[in-house]
Amino acid sequence: MEVRIENIVKSYGDYQAVNIESLHIPAGESFGLVGNNGAGKTTLFRALLDLIETDSGRCFIGVKPTKNEVLWKQKTGSYLDENFLIGHLLPEEYFDFVASIHGLSADDLADKLKTFETLFNGEIIGNKKLIRDLSKGNQKKVGIAAALIFNPSVLILDEPFANLDPSTQIRLKELLKTLKDERGVTLLISSHDLNHVTEVCERIVLLEKGKIINDIQTSSDTLKDLEDYFSKV
Amino acid sequence: MKAVFQLLRINWKETLRSPIWHRKALVNVFLVLMFLYLGGNLLALGIVLDNILMSISVDGIDYKTYGSSWVLRRLNQYLLYYFFADFILRYFMQKLPTMAIQPLLHLPIRRSSIAHLMLVKSVFSPFNWIHLLLLFPFVLELFGNLPFSQAFGWTLGMMGTVLLMNYILLYIKRKAEVSTWSYIGLVSAFVLILMLDWFDWVDFNVVSSAIFNPLFLYPWLAVFVLVCTAGAYMINLRFLIKNMYMSRISKTKASEVDYVGDGLLSKLGLVGKLAELELKLIWRNKRPRSVLLITLLFLGYGLFVFPNPEFQGNYMMYMMFSIIITGMFILNYGQYLMGWDGAYFDHILTRSTTLETYYHSKFIVFALVSTVSMILAIPYVYFGWEILGMLFSVFLFNIGINSFIVMFFGSFNPKKIDLSKGTVFNWQGVGAAQFLLAFPVFGFPVGIYFVSLLFTSEVGAMLILGGVGLIGLAGTKLWIRLLASWLRSQRYEIASDFRNT
Repeated sequence: MEVRIENIVKSYGDYQAVNIESLHIPAGESFGLVGNNGAGKTTLFRALLDLIETDSGRCFIGVKPTKNEVLWKQKTGSYLDENFLIGHLLPEEYFDFVASIHGLSADDLADKLKTFETLFNGEIIGNKKLIRDLSKGNQKKVGIAAALIFNPSVLILDEPFANLDPSTQIRLKELLKTLKDERGVTLLISSHDLNHVTEVCERIVLLEKGKIINDIQTSSDTLKDLEDYFSKV
Repeated sequence: MKAVFQLLRINWKETLRSPIWHRKALVNVFLVLMFLYLGGNLLALGIVLDNILMSISVDGIDYKTYGSSWVLRRLNQYLLYYFFADFILRYFMQKLPTMAIQPLLHLPIRRSSIAHLMLVKSVFSPFNWIHLLLLFPFVLELFGNLPFSQAFGWTLGMMGTVLLMNYILLYIKRKAEVSTWSYIGLVSAFVLILMLDWFDWVDFNVVSSAIFNPLFLYPWLAVFVLVCTAGAYMINLRFLIKNMYMSRISKTKASEVDYVGDGLLSKLGLVGKLAELELKLIWRNKRPRSVLLITLLFLGYGLFVFPNPEFQGNYMMYMMFSIIITGMFILNYGQYLMGWDGAYFDHILTRSTTLETYYHSKFIVFALVSTVSMILAIPYVYFGWEILGMLFSVFLFNIGINSFIVMFFGSFNPKKIDLSKGTVFNWQGVGAAQFLLAFPVFGFPVGIYFVSLLFTSEVGAMLILGGVGLIGLAGTKLWIRLLASWLRSQRYEIASDFRNT
């Protein structure tokens, strides 16, 4: 499914958090959002997910606007922050719940969870620890896995690499690449880590003070260009 | 020394910036009124305390013959009970003075400075000062009627004892937090003392007199109390310094939780699944769990009313108490409806569960707990069939009408509730809606009842009440749709409130 943003403006008082005229992410593209703190990355994702009310404009996932619609939610996996996790559940129970929302059978879920075994590294399933008692990194693993178990067509992740240990970062990168290559998932991620984002994403958009500064197809020079930009800011 | 002043300044800022000042003015006004009321009561009691003591005539001893010291002796007989009650109250209500120690531990500040500060801070707890309200008027009388040295000795001893209690409590409570055994030991000690008293194995009046009379007979003994207090302070200090390590203080030892799979409710589909989620929330968190406990306690409320000959045949009374008996959970848990889900509201919004499903699951939990309460209340039939009839009519009204009223008020400007926090003195989530809630919940049934009485008997009015409940129940889908569309219009604001707190 494609993702489209049209004339989105979100301001808090005088401060414009996001102001984007037009952004089109075709189905199957891996799209990376980079920018310093306060550039509006999370706000943009929240607007896309219909979590905040924008001053104007529309967001589309698929053909319909996201606002007040439910259908796109069946096909969109997302994990922005801990507000997406139900802390008093075991990870297994949380996966159960998400799976049942999406009509996944218990067998399908079990199969799916097997594919996360290396990512979980034995620290998530069967440890009798509630999600709220997990470390930040493990919470993130739970959130990302929950966004993936129902085979979404669109995946939206905010800072997926932050707080993860190096091995998990590498595994996650592999996972995201397979999703894109083999299943044609439209991938939207934001990151502070220029290395990771240039590796995973074929297109990178640079955000500054809510506006799109640069929109580039990733090439061998991209990382250097980005580093140049951020060292000057 | 400089470090201590810095610490004091940090502490002062902590107080100034406490979230207490940021909550709704209405809540603060209510709290101030409540404290004034309680304080006024204590002060009034303190003023008439000597008269009360004089009026208790025991063993034919006349107050006039023995004078003021007799009043004091009389009081001393009861002081042990007083401090025992004080201890229990403190144990459950007084908070341990905490400081954000973690950010201080790596700085070049002596551990003893931090510990001293925490201990001194505890003196300012209201649980020390309420004694002053009670004792101050009495002490004034004492100084007027007894030789100065006697009055002074006793007063000093009393103040020392209050502080001693403070430090004993701090120590025991901290100790009980660290090890379960000390908690068990404490409970056994309580039970033992209560038994000793109940079966008259020990006459605590005599013990109490033996402890407190010497304070005014030999005033210099007050020094002994102060020495004990200082000793308790030192023990606390040593304990604090020894335990002031990250692992001990941030006791984030996660308890093991067993996997709970789908229950019966999930046969209802997604709605049931959500309801089961809610039940897990209630069971696995302190505050909602205590709501459940309170619900259970209030089931017994009827015992005070139904057998009472004064209320015999008073249907109005039956109704009021029935609302509480089967509706306590709806009222108490439902008033914070969305606040409980504050920590994962974004999750609810991004999943493809509709808001209708969300409300429906809440309704199921309400109905379930109410039904269990109703079943448990059936034995009240012992006091008369009309009581069971009223309980059942009101039960229908509670789930058919009141549950939706509560859901509406609970969705009104909800505040996020930190599930990890306890219940005592926890005002999180309380807003104007929670105060107003009681009016419709009790007002509607009363109104319906009175209007019905205009043209029918009391039994008829009772049946009409149940009938209205049934009609409300039949409209469940409609009410839920209305609630959901209301929430839909409010969701951005609620979600951003939750995110920012």
